[in-house]
Amino acid sequence: MIRLSPQLRAGIQRSTLPALILLSGAMLVAGKTDQTMFETLRTGLSDVAAPALDVASRPLRAAEAAIDRVRGFIGVYQVNRRLEEENQRLLQWQQVALKLTTENRQLQGLLKVVPDRAVSYVTARVIANSGGAYVRTVMINAGSQAGLARGQAVITGDGLVGRLTEVGSRAARVLLITDLNSRIPVKIEGSNTGAVLAGDNSERPRLLYVGSPEALKIGDRVVTSGEGGVFPPDLPVGMVSAVGPAGPRVEPYVELSQLGYVLAVDYGLSGALPQPVPPAVRPGRKSKAASEELQTPAQPAR
Amino acid sequence: MALREFTAPELPRVNSNAARLVPILTTTIAALVAILPLQIPGYAALTPALALMAVYHWTLYRPDLLPSYALFGIGLGEDLLTGSLVGVGALTLLVTRAVVLRSRRHFVGRSFPAVWAGFTLVGGGMMLGLWALHCLLESSLINPRNTIFRMVLTIAVFPAASFLLGSTQRVLIDGPRLMRRR
Repeated sequence: MIRLSPQLRAGIQRSTLPALILLSGAMLVAGKTDQTMFETLRTGLSDVAAPALDVASRPLRAAEAAIDRVRGFIGVYQVNRRLEEENQRLLQWQQVALKLTTENRQLQGLLKVVPDRAVSYVTARVIANSGGAYVRTVMINAGSQAGLARGQAVITGDGLVGRLTEVGSRAARVLLITDLNSRIPVKIEGSNTGAVLAGDNSERPRLLYVGSPEALKIGDRVVTSGEGGVFPPDLPVGMVSAVGPAGPRVEPYVELSQLGYVLAVDYGLSGALPQPVPPAVRPGRKSKAASEELQTPAQPAR
Repeated sequence: MALREFTAPELPRVNSNAARLVPILTTTIAALVAILPLQIPGYAALTPALALMAVYHWTLYRPDLLPSYALFGIGLGEDLLTGSLVGVGALTLLVTRAVVLRSRRHFVGRSFPAVWAGFTLVGGGMMLGLWALHCLLESSLINPRNTIFRMVLTIAVFPAASFLLGSTQRVLIDGPRLMRRR
């Protein structure tokens, strides 16, 4: 170890804190100007930390499962009755669905419909969330090794969760639809009115650039429009939960604060997403990832 | 910026290397626990600022064992793992340290309510400052509701965190030394 004079050592000690504060400030400004600057570092650290976070989040999952089980025992009688009734109803629906499937197949055959491209799913577990009030992202324990790629849609059985913004080899980051930087082209189901779903870090994202706002009703289903070629059309997103002068808002179908397992879906569309481009090329301040441009330009004119 | 660092001489020296690592370890654990995906509705948005509590505690009682560069590292790791803007976490923890160092003499040796009041001022101030910084960086007015909830929760949880950290300190850092002295 190098021996330093006491004065020099005291000097270094005194200036460390201000120097590091300045350095963090500088990094903040630099990172804000060029969003891609720290991306390699980010994915690198995520890859390294993923196994540890994976292990650390397991006991939580086990504890939750145990609580769930106890809760399940308490309500077992009512649940059983409800399920029996539901089962009766669903059996009827099954008959209807089977009939419709056959009919649909016959009609598609008549019309020579081109079938949708094959879809592949990767199931992953959420191992970390954003733990703060200013970003809405989660980390999942699968990455490029499992076939994930930037821009893929992330869903659960209930609906859209978000999309992959950073993909490391073992972990990936999902930008949730509620994040301040999330913009998703959507439409109101049935009416085909286009809109953009814009997150603002609250639980209920806003609905911008609605084609005909007066036609909007609480309870309308919001689905992806497929414009911009990032998400396939008709993925369920949420339900209109507020209309009025403050602007319409959407309640997501997925309980985003309680994500356990999610599906990263490859619809064969993510090839349309460019790799990060240098900041000079990117217009606007909201572009957290280059992919944003592909999602936003589809804003229909009022 | 005139920041005075309180250096080791006024604090009793800790000989055990393991004990010297306790503040850094507990702060790192606090930062990690905050990002674990607990299945509590709204938890991600309202997670109490656990690392902030650890930094306040250790800077107050053992500033020599939680040096600035450790805070920089922990803050940076936090930013990279949570996907926030790089530098925000480090800046928060370092400024907290700077503020606590400057006002340390008002709180050290005081009763717990005074320490808690100090945390309310420093922690609450930091969280409001962070909100203002994000509004500035995103150049839009972010709804302060979550920040306020989070702030109240953080201040409310502080006594428990302070008790845990204080016990850890007594057992692992102060304890062995006192026993040896006897």
